Amino acid sequence: MLVFGDDVVSKMRRNEVNKWFFRMVGLVATLFMLAGGPFMASASAAGKIALVLDVGGRGDLSFNDMGFKGSDEAVANLGVEVVEIQSNSAADYLPNMQNAARSGQFDLIVAVGFLIADAMAEVAGQFPDQKFAIIDVTWLGKPNLMEIGYEENKGSAIVGALSAMVAAHYGYDKIGAVLGIEIPVLYKFEAGYRYGMHWGNAKYAEETGKASDVGLLWTYTGTFSDIAKGKAATEAMLAQGAGVIYNVAGPLGIGDLEAITEHLEAKGKSAGPPFMIGVDANQDYLGDGHRVLASMMKRVDFGVYSAIESVVNGTFEGGVQILGPHNGGIAMSGEQDLADFIQFGVNGGAIGASDRQAIIQNWTGMREDIPAWIWEAVAELQAQISDGTAEVPCGWCPDTIKEIRAKYPD
Amino acid sequence: MSSPSSWIRNLTPITESLLAGVVGLVIGAFIMLAFGYNPLAAYRSLFVGSVGSVYSWAELFANATPLILTALTFAIAMRGGLFNIGAEGQLYMGALAAVSVSLLHLPAPFNWIVAILAAMVAGMIWSLPVALLKLGRGVHEVISTIMFNWIAHFFAFYLIANVLTDPQRGERTIAVSESARLTRVFPDATLSSGLFISLVTVGVIFFLLWRTSTGFEIRSVGYNPHASHYAGISIRKQVLRVFLIGGAIAGLAGAIVVMGRPPYYAVLSGLPQLVNLGFDGIGVAMIGRNHPIGIVFAAIFFGGLMTGGRIMQFDPGVPFELVRVIQGVIILALAIPELRRLFFLARERLAGRK
Repeated sequence: MLVFGDDVVSKMRRNEVNKWFFRMVGLVATLFMLAGGPFMASASAAGKIALVLDVGGRGDLSFNDMGFKGSDEAVANLGVEVVEIQSNSAADYLPNMQNAARSGQFDLIVAVGFLIADAMAEVAGQFPDQKFAIIDVTWLGKPNLMEIGYEENKGSAIVGALSAMVAAHYGYDKIGAVLGIEIPVLYKFEAGYRYGMHWGNAKYAEETGKASDVGLLWTYTGTFSDIAKGKAATEAMLAQGAGVIYNVAGPLGIGDLEAITEHLEAKGKSAGPPFMIGVDANQDYLGDGHRVLASMMKRVDFGVYSAIESVVNGTFEGGVQILGPHNGGIAMSGEQDLADFIQFGVNGGAIGASDRQAIIQNWTGMREDIPAWIWEAVAELQAQISDGTAEVPCGWCPDTIKEIRAKYPD
Repeated sequence: MSSPSSWIRNLTPITESLLAGVVGLVIGAFIMLAFGYNPLAAYRSLFVGSVGSVYSWAELFANATPLILTALTFAIAMRGGLFNIGAEGQLYMGALAAVSVSLLHLPAPFNWIVAILAAMVAGMIWSLPVALLKLGRGVHEVISTIMFNWIAHFFAFYLIANVLTDPQRGERTIAVSESARLTRVFPDATLSSGLFISLVTVGVIFFLLWRTSTGFEIRSVGYNPHASHYAGISIRKQVLRVFLIGGAIAGLAGAIVVMGRPPYYAVLSGLPQLVNLGFDGIGVAMIGRNHPIGIVFAAIFFGGLMTGGRIMQFDPGVPFELVRVIQGVIILALAIPELRRLFFLARERLAGRK
């Protein structure tokens, strides 16, 4: 064999060198074993939490940054210790949680994101005495697992009402929804947005005395990754007179916004209308701060924080916890959210620190140009949804979407 | 007396690797010290986390399983004098081919056999153009394999989002049907019987390279293509052989990951369970001196680093990014002896040509 040496030195000399070498290796290894000492068990009074993330780490300007925000706040306010466990590969999800559970040092193991759901199902069953929580998953049903789900339909209703009123205010007669793959969870967004649009039309008529029949254009693009399809769908909607476009396909929002930007540039403008509505995370900082009207935010930070809080307070229990407008788990983006996300962007290098002021100014100007009664109406709907007087259709509705489409038509 | 450099040259390969490993550990320790972490506690958890229990051994082998195969892909090409870094893309194709077989709803013993064969064929198909470009137009395999890796990457994205999509879960493909999954060896660890498929493949490749005339021809071309040509060995045939065998093995690696790595059994959007297995295989092959047996040990070592690295995150609290840096330093240190050998080999060849 080629690699196994073709040297000229005598075997004896080689053995001598090797013997000396192995002795050294043995010595070093022994040192390591002795010096390692016991595991650092630094149990702080309030508790120790493991935060398990999927393959994206900090700096995604979305889901993970929101999760970290929640745990950072828990460290600051509740005095817990948080250990972040990131994953190098999807193959790590299961072992990472098993290792954390087996170590027995964590009061709670929080998994951020539905990608970890299958691994969670297995680990929660395997370690019945360990408390777990998972964000954005509601279908596992384990007694030691808190599942935190979001009422995206209600949040979509709020931005739907805003969209319809703003579109009517600026003289548009259509709003649009660019959706991803037609899967049940997206029906929640569609159903809520339809409901909100109808609510907004009625409110506009009530406030202004002018009839408003803003209609809905909607497209399931069949993708969560093909940004060009988001752009094409948005272009088609803008051509049909849409004034606000709701992005319900994650990264396709980049394409949606590109279409809006080009549409405005053709008219020599930079600020909307037309506007985009962001989804999940805060996307208001995109489009120079004045082309994204608002975002329907799933407050992952809120979910992580409240799970940790429940363990600290001793109120933790397994089962599904629903976060919605009533408890702040779902919210339309506000000024503080914009500031937070600009900070994420500056930290991650996506936004220059010098752009911070310009974005905030543009954003404030955009919102101030819209009459105050519209913002008040949005707050009113939010209150009605929270106290139950406004019944937004559908929690999870593959069977009923046809009825909802008939009841709240295009 | 001999100079200090001569005793380094006279070490056996195993001693040389151990020395390189110690150098890597020491450099890594200094890096951790610089960032304010206790290197001894970190290495202790790396060690205990990788070989401290039956479970950790099982995880170690689970991590090693695909790396053994992707390393073989690289090694067999290297033995034939070629630098095939296409395992990454061939692996993606293999995984997707294995998943798509579940659309056929075959009965139990056939479904997993067909899936594995389909994956191997897919890997070969993905490797074929590289060989043809090399033979027909003289395109260097490094360039073409890098290109084909990216084509595979985006083609996989397309297939996941548009063709093989799970109707209920947009972010992943349909799953491998339950009867086609590789059995888990331990109930709670992620190790599957794929390990045995990997080890059998190691045996087959070892036999092929050193006990058959095909293997002799491949290695002969690797040592000296001119002499081999003069002796009547078809170099073109060896290029084709090396790429097709390599492609089949890389495709097999993809199948074993998707069929044997719980809990998903589907290809997720963004390929998070596949990305880098092909490239890591190059490192494994380097550390294993491009020898099937060496590769098994190198893959075990790599698997240990991956398994123990998980523990480093929460016992001594070394951040993930730093864990990756330490792993990289150790791997680089271990690869240096083989890189040095390849460098001198290339220099000799160039000198010989003049």
